[in-house]
Amino acid sequence: MYHVILYSQWKWSRLIVLLGTIAGFALPIISLQGAAAADRNPLAAQELLRAVQSWGTLYPVLATTLGLLVAIATWAPDHRGRHIHALSLPLPRWRYVLLRFAAGVTVLAGPIVAVLLGAVLATALATIPPGLQGYPLALALRFALALLVAYAVFFAVSAGTTRTAGIILGVIAAVIVVQIVAGVANVELDLWGKLALVILNWPGPLAVFTGRWMLVDV
Amino acid sequence: MCNLRTPLFLLLLSPALSAQDSVLAKLQRRADSLAGEWRRANAVADLADSLEHERAVTGRDTIAVGALRIVANPSPLPLREAGVRAWPVIDSFYGRAAQDLAQRAYIIRAFDPDTTVPRARLHVGMEVPWNMTEESLVLLLISNVPVAPPDAALQEWLGGPVRPSVNASQDRVGVYVQLVTAPSQAARSCFQGRLDSCALALGLATAPTLEAWYPSAAERRSLVITAFTDYFDHGATVAAYHSCTAGSDSACTGLLRSLPKGTLPRPLGADARVTLVHLALRLGGREAYHRLLAGRDAPIGARLASAAGVSQDSLLARWREEVIAARPSAVALPPWAFLFALGWVAIFAGCGLRSSRWRVG
Repeated sequence: MYHVILYSQWKWSRLIVLLGTIAGFALPIISLQGAAAADRNPLAAQELLRAVQSWGTLYPVLATTLGLLVAIATWAPDHRGRHIHALSLPLPRWRYVLLRFAAGVTVLAGPIVAVLLGAVLATALATIPPGLQGYPLALALRFALALLVAYAVFFAVSAGTTRTAGIILGVIAAVIVVQIVAGVANVELDLWGKLALVILNWPGPLAVFTGRWMLVDV
Repeated sequence: MCNLRTPLFLLLLSPALSAQDSVLAKLQRRADSLAGEWRRANAVADLADSLEHERAVTGRDTIAVGALRIVANPSPLPLREAGVRAWPVIDSFYGRAAQDLAQRAYIIRAFDPDTTVPRARLHVGMEVPWNMTEESLVLLLISNVPVAPPDAALQEWLGGPVRPSVNASQDRVGVYVQLVTAPSQAARSCFQGRLDSCALALGLATAPTLEAWYPSAAERRSLVITAFTDYFDHGATVAAYHSCTAGSDSACTGLLRSLPKGTLPRPLGADARVTLVHLALRLGGREAYHRLLAGRDAPIGARLASAAGVSQDSLLARWREEVIAARPSAVALPPWAFLFALGWVAIFAGCGLRSSRWRVG
């Protein structure tokens, strides 16, 4: 059964996965392109770090985009068919969902491996100034975790009904409205800041996306 | 004819010499007048300072902790408690010289942070809100020790007075980053273990010249691009700047030579020099600060070595070891982050399982 679901998953999301794999492979190499040039100034470590940091912002963006698109692709055909096919299968629903989730995770292995290979290749080809080091494995691991978290979040949202999505959006809107009203009423209430702190700091769910994504660092 | 030539020449020259003499005398008188004005202005400034000092300390309480003297207006500020915590740090840093602080009080004016009533301007001491925490006060006292400024040579080299650090380990982390990122071969060689390069990068080795600090064309170009883009990339220097960025070393050198005296940055920043001084004082014991201030005519390196009680090379080697040991940890995820991330993945996947779309019947 897993193979059948994996095949359908691949059919639905292969374009996304292929593009993500190419982007994942290219990103580390592009971010270190200056360091690989023959005429590179070996003293320009600061510029190298700055370039790596700037390019580094694209890793969480890529992870989020891939997670979102693959999660949507996972459920879109079921939504279109009103889940009749899924319900007609001789499977308990929890098993079907788990199989779908596992199939999505499997196809996402491609971009993760691509980032790892790209990062290893980029650091091997680059002339890294003394004192700086490449972290291809750490970066790829972090990318993998971010991609899995993004995929899981959007998988859960996508598996839900429009009502569920409405509730989530409503809660976010309520927080924003309360924050604005508190600001107008001159009440010291930093709801948005506190929420961001909880979500974006460890052990928050999106903490893996924050911080510096450095392929090369001190 | 020949005999007549000299008196005639002198005769013709005498009005010119006399005019020159009068110009010199005039300039001399103007210089004397300016010197007099300068002395009078200094006297007035001294008087103003003295009056301002009197105004700042009159009617205030004096808190004494060790040799620290804190003159402050009555307020809820926990000054004594902060002084008790700051004094051991200050005493261990300056050693016996810390006793001199009894003559140089902190002047603190605490103010109500919640009022908008304008307060008289204070030109002496520090103004702090009276709700400041004890922790912050301790840091304030440590980082603003009213120590007498050192001699001009040491102050110019260090970029200010010698004061204790509030976060020594973090300072060394910053120096490590400088050592590996500064656009300087000296800094890079120092990182790789060459002590003469450390001395050069810290401004201990030679006279401060462009060629000594930045010997290669790549370094000079990097320096212009990283530190002086805003300064040179407009006005009269824009053509030279673009020529420099395009690779012309003569343009880069010309630009750097045009900088005002004393503004050419050393390969390593002031933080690096401060950590070296702190190490010398730490190694030298309670008399180290006195030894550092003595021998004003000696080179800074020799003074630091004397303060530390070791040779300059030993001091530099120790400094380098400490900086290398302070290498900051790379931005990586802590081990438990993997568990948390996978936990969130499981939770969100579980939310997918609980989807209301699947609750049939």
